[in-house]
Amino acid sequence: MIQLKSVNKQFGAISALKNIDLHIGPGEIVGFLGHNGAGKTTLMRIITTYLPVTSGRVMIDGKDVLKSSLAIRAKLGYLPERPPLYLNMTVKGFLSFAAHLKNVPFREVGKAVDRVCEECWLTKVKGRIIGTLSKGYQQRVGIAQAIINDPALLILDEPTSGLDPLQVVQVRELIKRCEHQRTVIVSTHILSEIENLVSRVVIVKQGEIAADAPLVELLYNSQSKNLEEAFLKLHPVYEKN
Amino acid sequence: MRKINAIAFKELTALFGSPLAYVVLFLSTAVFNIFFFMIIDQNREAHLKDIFTVMEFLLVFFVPIFTMKSFAEENASGTMEFLLTAPVRKIEIVLGKFAGIKIFLFCVIAPTFVYYFIFSHFADFDKVTALWGYLGIWLEVNFFAAIGLFISSLCRSQVVAAMSTYVILFILYFSMSFKMYVEGKLNVLVSYIAVMSHSENFFTGIFLLSDVVYFLSGIIFFLLLTRLMLNRQ
Repeated sequence: MIQLKSVNKQFGAISALKNIDLHIGPGEIVGFLGHNGAGKTTLMRIITTYLPVTSGRVMIDGKDVLKSSLAIRAKLGYLPERPPLYLNMTVKGFLSFAAHLKNVPFREVGKAVDRVCEECWLTKVKGRIIGTLSKGYQQRVGIAQAIINDPALLILDEPTSGLDPLQVVQVRELIKRCEHQRTVIVSTHILSEIENLVSRVVIVKQGEIAADAPLVELLYNSQSKNLEEAFLKLHPVYEKN
Repeated sequence: MRKINAIAFKELTALFGSPLAYVVLFLSTAVFNIFFFMIIDQNREAHLKDIFTVMEFLLVFFVPIFTMKSFAEENASGTMEFLLTAPVRKIEIVLGKFAGIKIFLFCVIAPTFVYYFIFSHFADFDKVTALWGYLGIWLEVNFFAAIGLFISSLCRSQVVAAMSTYVILFILYFSMSFKMYVEGKLNVLVSYIAVMSHSENFFTGIFLLSDVVYFLSGIIFFLLLTRLMLNRQ
């Protein structure tokens, strides 16, 4: 599904990603872990075609993201770290707008909006202006726009940031429901959040992949009881970023 | 086309969602009405030239207010990332926003069509000159909107976008006043750049292809520059 070969990304003199090689198969739920500024968001933005690579190659379904950007974006659902919302629009208006942009057939836009509202627990607030909603609801609207086109690849950058514990569980359930149906990449630095969610963990450290393994294997290899312990072994508490 | 329509509709909803849009519509219509009655009361002439001149002057001030948000707000709020990761061509984003602003500006101009019909029915009226004038003002307003969109695509702050657009539009609009102070090739250049030297021809019914080319090339040039700016993002 996704293949990154020797991907490097420079922002001026800063090297954000260094020689990244990664393969993600269809139906996998992969967690990107790392400190703030480790390069998770840059990696996701490259996969979404938002950022070009400095060198290397990114292929999705055998297509180069730079050459077939439009076709790849049609299969994609993306929730950036900061939910991309038009605060003066209603939930329904915004989701309809997203559906039109994301190639949902014209006659099915209404149905698609109803479906995602139901999946993201938004039916009650469908007619409300987004700017008047709580942060939790706004985050759900962000997730709803990401899945409105039923994407084969779903990329969620910090999907549970700012949510209360109940909402975190709901979002986790939502992602879990995608298992085997679509490939999901979730980025977070809240380890407990993805422990029960992902089948595979990719730990990004200073722009490099420090670990890439199924969760069980990662715990076994690092002789850790949980993901937090494994993560701390790779990122000692007093280590400078 | 569907995506352009969706973006245009979203822009229009945002524009009409602001009280400023209604203030501008009310103000512009009020000013046009005052000038219309001045023309028929004092001048006793059936022409729309003065209306077009006032319209042109007002639009220099109004257009930046409505173009400043278009990209600057998307850049600042992070929604640009949403647009650029959706399966939409960058030119569709530009044309969608351009269409939204155009429709709004059409609403500003449209009330003056009433004057055209009043003159057509009650006076000896040169319809062709009036229609040519409308074409001129329409091309001019599109030109201003394309400049505003381009400036907005460079900025994250709406205020900076508006101010920068004002600077450029003022240069284009008032440069005719400086024509007398320069000579030779510079004089010719100022005449060509000055928007009034082209719009005046439209308003007085002078048919020159170079005027149409000036506005059309300006519109295309700034829309393409906006498209290039999105590429840079």
